[in-house]
Amino acid sequence: MAKRYDLRRQTGFSQVAWFCIFMLYAPILLLVLFSFNDNRSVVKWTEFSFRWYTEAFANEGIRAAAVTSLKLALVASVFGTIFATMAALATTRTRPYRGMNLAYAVINQPLMIPEIVTAIASLSLFALIKQITGVTGIGYLMLAHTVFCIPFAYMPIRARLEDMTLTLEQAAADLYASPYRVFWEVTFPLLIPGIVSGAMLAFVVSLDDVIITLMVAGPGETTLPIFILGAIRRGITPEINAVSTILLAVSILFVAVFFLFQRRNKK
Amino acid sequence: MKHKLLSFSAACGIALCSNSAVAEGELHIYNWGNYTSPELIEKFEQQFDVEVTLDGYDSNETMLAKVQQGNTGYDIVVPGDYMIAIMIEQGLLEDIDANTMENFGNVDAKWVDVYWDPGREYSVPYQWGTTSFVVDSEVYSGDINTLGLIFDPPAELQGRINMLNDMNDVINAGLRYLGYPRCNSNEDELRELTALLLEAKTHWRTMDYSTIEKLTSGDVDLSQNWNGASMRARAQRPTLVYAYPKEGFTGWMDNVAVLKDAPNLENAKLFVNFIMDPENAALISNFARYANGIMGSEPFMDPEMTEAPEIVMPADAPAPDFVPPCDQSVVDFYNEIWTRLKQ
Repeated sequence: MAKRYDLRRQTGFSQVAWFCIFMLYAPILLLVLFSFNDNRSVVKWTEFSFRWYTEAFANEGIRAAAVTSLKLALVASVFGTIFATMAALATTRTRPYRGMNLAYAVINQPLMIPEIVTAIASLSLFALIKQITGVTGIGYLMLAHTVFCIPFAYMPIRARLEDMTLTLEQAAADLYASPYRVFWEVTFPLLIPGIVSGAMLAFVVSLDDVIITLMVAGPGETTLPIFILGAIRRGITPEINAVSTILLAVSILFVAVFFLFQRRNKK
Repeated sequence: MKHKLLSFSAACGIALCSNSAVAEGELHIYNWGNYTSPELIEKFEQQFDVEVTLDGYDSNETMLAKVQQGNTGYDIVVPGDYMIAIMIEQGLLEDIDANTMENFGNVDAKWVDVYWDPGREYSVPYQWGTTSFVVDSEVYSGDINTLGLIFDPPAELQGRINMLNDMNDVINAGLRYLGYPRCNSNEDELRELTALLLEAKTHWRTMDYSTIEKLTSGDVDLSQNWNGASMRARAQRPTLVYAYPKEGFTGWMDNVAVLKDAPNLENAKLFVNFIMDPENAALISNFARYANGIMGSEPFMDPEMTEAPEIVMPADAPAPDFVPPCDQSVVDFYNEIWTRLKQ
């Protein structure tokens, strides 16, 4: 036992690691690569070009779907984050109460229930509401997205709250600050990194959702992932690669911001 | 809090949920993704002063699931052949008397008495195609219009064949080769079929959906294939020829229909009549790249399409075979055969 134990020096470690990295990222790299291919084929390379990006931007269906996606993600992440912040405060900044664990479980429910079940359940419920009230529109889709965004926003906010000691809030209260002022002048500014990372995560989750959107969306409410899904039935074209690459880039951007704020969380 | 929630939902009611007011001049189309010509929609909007929304689905089953729940807000759907039959049976489609419409006379007579909508009360043709196979005529120069090339291949094609990774397409081709009926549950005939498939499989190289890539990369010289994909493959490998085997081949058709209780019923009917105009049907074909079933549309179609033997069937080819969904007992048999074949 002279040598120190090091996981990275185990036989086969680097092979397994490289295999995993390859399987995870090779398909995505290939997709990005062929979006720049000046050719209809998605397997044969000819020449570098932005042709498919130009075509994608010129395609009205894609543009409309992108606008719907952004609108939806914005509304869902804003409202989802507001509700998640309230929920996080109610499950950390109070004395433990009966049912707190239950509340925690209920908030995180969308993470546990299979998405297809939520999708079909929402479809049936909304169809019933539409029948009774006659109200239709994109509000239903926004509602559904907000709901499944809540747990994703909740996690980083709660983590931030748990890392923050109560010292400052107690000091403020000792100095006769009302609970209202304690929240807005102490808790909230400290919580902002958590809220921003929560919102970023919620935005990406809403942007990428397929199954629930597919079921709940009504007329004129096609999002980008739904457009891609519908279009591949007629074969994958580099145009689809281009749109997927853009979607990927936006997602990476938001996840990067998320990690940036997570790092600030730790400081 | 209660107050806030109330005003939130009120704001939602006014701002977000109001774009559906049952105004005149709207039409909501729910079609397969990337399957509707933007030119066609623009022309319809201008001609009738109607605002059209267009959404895409990825399968007949997704569309059915949503429509069954009701109140989708859509007016027009474009289900495949067997799905029309299911939706009529479930009372999901509006009886629009399509056969009495002004432009109905343009519909090719062979698409009127179809099994999924006899006499065309509910639906009209949108696009149709076939599933057969393509061969490289330089590799094999004999008669290609026989399924023998797949099930008893000549030496030059052995080991150079790709089949679709699709249970029904493979089994139906086998049944046609043997001359047995589709949706078959006769155990003796199915035993013979299994033996045929297992024997033929020794000559097959792959079973894969990516037919264009397989053919153009030179991986195989024969592939079971859809006609539209065959035309695209030929653009890159000009010696490919699409076969119309004498034993028969599969046909499919997507059809335009109107949903029961469509919010914009009159506009929907206008649209159904509109697409039976040869000029408009040609717009659809030029975009979706399949034949449309409307007589007189050829002069308006891209020459690339009217000259494509994959799209325009030769007059002496047998009629395409439309296979309805089979009973569960038959599907169970098929699954067993498929499992053995895929081992």
